[in-house]
Amino acid sequence: MKITKFTAAAIIILFFQGCTKDVDFNQFDDAKIHSTYITTLIYLNLTASDFLDDFNREIAVTTDLVQAPISNDSEPYLEKVEFTVITENTFSRNFKLSITFYDVFNAPIYVLQPIINVPENSSKLTTIIEIPKQDIPSIYDTKYFGFTILLSPSTNGSTISINDISTFNLKSSAKLFFNYRKI
Amino acid sequence: MRKLSFFIFLVYAIGFSQNKQVLYDFAGLPQTLLLNPGAEVENKFHFGMPMFSQLSAQGGFTGFSTYDIFADNGIDINDKIKAAVNNYGTAEFFAFNQQLEVLNGGFRLPNNDFLSFGYYEDVDFLAKIPRDIVDLFYEGNTIINRRYSIDKLAARVEMLGVLHLGLSKKMNEKWNLGARAKIYSSVFNASTKSNSGSFYTEEGTQNIYRQHLDNINFLMQTSGVFFRNGEEIDASYVKSKLLFGGNLGFGIDLGFTHHYSKQWTITGSILDLGFVNNSKNVESFLYKGDYEVEGVQLNFDRNNPQNYWSDLKADFDNSILSDTLYKSFISFRPVKLNGSASYSFGQKQDECRYLIDQGFYLNKIGLQWFSTVGAVHSYMAATLFYEHRFSKHFQTKLTYTANPFSFTNIGLGLSANIGVVNLYFAADNLLGLNNIYNAKSASFQLGLNFIFKDKN
Repeated sequence: MKITKFTAAAIIILFFQGCTKDVDFNQFDDAKIHSTYITTLIYLNLTASDFLDDFNREIAVTTDLVQAPISNDSEPYLEKVEFTVITENTFSRNFKLSITFYDVFNAPIYVLQPIINVPENSSKLTTIIEIPKQDIPSIYDTKYFGFTILLSPSTNGSTISINDISTFNLKSSAKLFFNYRKI
Repeated sequence: MRKLSFFIFLVYAIGFSQNKQVLYDFAGLPQTLLLNPGAEVENKFHFGMPMFSQLSAQGGFTGFSTYDIFADNGIDINDKIKAAVNNYGTAEFFAFNQQLEVLNGGFRLPNNDFLSFGYYEDVDFLAKIPRDIVDLFYEGNTIINRRYSIDKLAARVEMLGVLHLGLSKKMNEKWNLGARAKIYSSVFNASTKSNSGSFYTEEGTQNIYRQHLDNINFLMQTSGVFFRNGEEIDASYVKSKLLFGGNLGFGIDLGFTHHYSKQWTITGSILDLGFVNNSKNVESFLYKGDYEVEGVQLNFDRNNPQNYWSDLKADFDNSILSDTLYKSFISFRPVKLNGSASYSFGQKQDECRYLIDQGFYLNKIGLQWFSTVGAVHSYMAATLFYEHRFSKHFQTKLTYTANPFSFTNIGLGLSANIGVVNLYFAADNLLGLNNIYNAKSASFQLGLNFIFKDKN
């Protein structure tokens, strides 16, 4: 009988002490998960012929387009984009590179700032370009990225020749900063 | 948000996988026959209260508990999440199982064999999540040359109805053998296993980085998940699939009870040695190959403008085979193994110290072993138990179990008989009741039976 009473008491204690310590599920609203992803982007290996037309005349403005099928699933979480651009120029000419975002109507909606200046005969130069939070929606409205290279006039009147072995190289990557506030 | 929080709580509070260590070989309950078809039955016949003869739910997560994240202790939740991620193992797994016994009955045949039968609904989910996936989500991929591997990624989920018929046969005074045949009717099934491959970023040559999908081999097989013929999912659909309108399969359970000596007993069983032939609404997804990319090289070629995105996509598609398969497949049920060795002692005596019932013991102690072996994940658990019969009306069982979720899992089973009515309840992780949010796993089984014993 003693064992019975003891066991019954133990069972009652076990069940009735069953409780919870304080938890606060509202903390979930404060949860932030900051994740950063890096992705490779475009690169260029341009030579003299890329800046000359069929008659070997200099082309002052060279443009190329890349389609951008960007899903807007990540838009609520993307906080910042940071581009890293590394340039190397052995031409005796200055270049400027501008990157413009175009919407579905081919209208320019955003230009990355600053425009990248590539001085003549420059070794590796790294430029960091940031798209701040307030400009992020532009990315998701973009249909094409336009890359424009402006060949600055020479200061001494010289021109690029087809036999010029100089190169203009560019490497790039992007860092995407996400904050998963609403998991 | 509150709904999500409540769901998270439920996920942690209910459950863990399919070890019913408290119920196994307990008090001669009819449900023990489902855990060991070779269990000894003393009843003349029994039947369970329809829909209420066994309701069981089990689940758990080996990674961290609800309390680890949501404790109201003044620590910032982001610090707690960070700590949980830091403590995450190479791979942690989440398991959930729920069973509802719709029908259960049994009766003794003229030759003294015991025939039992029934039908139950079973939902089973298991996901094994490697740390690399968690790190990739939580931190990103900024660590150069770090490989994020899917080698340990595996999951299965299924819902099925099981019709079963079993026979327990007393061979002699020492041996009792049993077998059970099962017909499965699967509502849905999805599984992915034996995956391989990794994603990593290294320094490039043409560009700053080169990114790789290396040796990717991923297959997810599904049935009853995607529909091409416009079927609608509603209660009547689920009901029809549970009642043999789904993908059908067959399985067997085998078990034994061996009285090694008068007081020593050994039992064992192997459950769900079977398969389901998935042929309806089958859709499987395969990804295989290697891919590396340094970026898009712009050519600024006015005479030959390129569609870089299409070229990139074509290169990816050529490198990574992506296929949707509609071919039938066989899915194997996770096999469960049970075993026990027990020692009975303490015979009932009257006031003059005469034995009231020869060969009848009030106490039993022993060791149980459980293992589940599946293509997705396998694990084992060991249990020490003490069972005591207070009277012919009331029995209890106390268990201590060590499993991947916990090394401090105390369980308790109660079985009460009032006339022909039997009510039982079994639960584990009772220490977790002190703070249920801190429990990484929990389980319970309860039910109501009507048991008729032979008057002799």
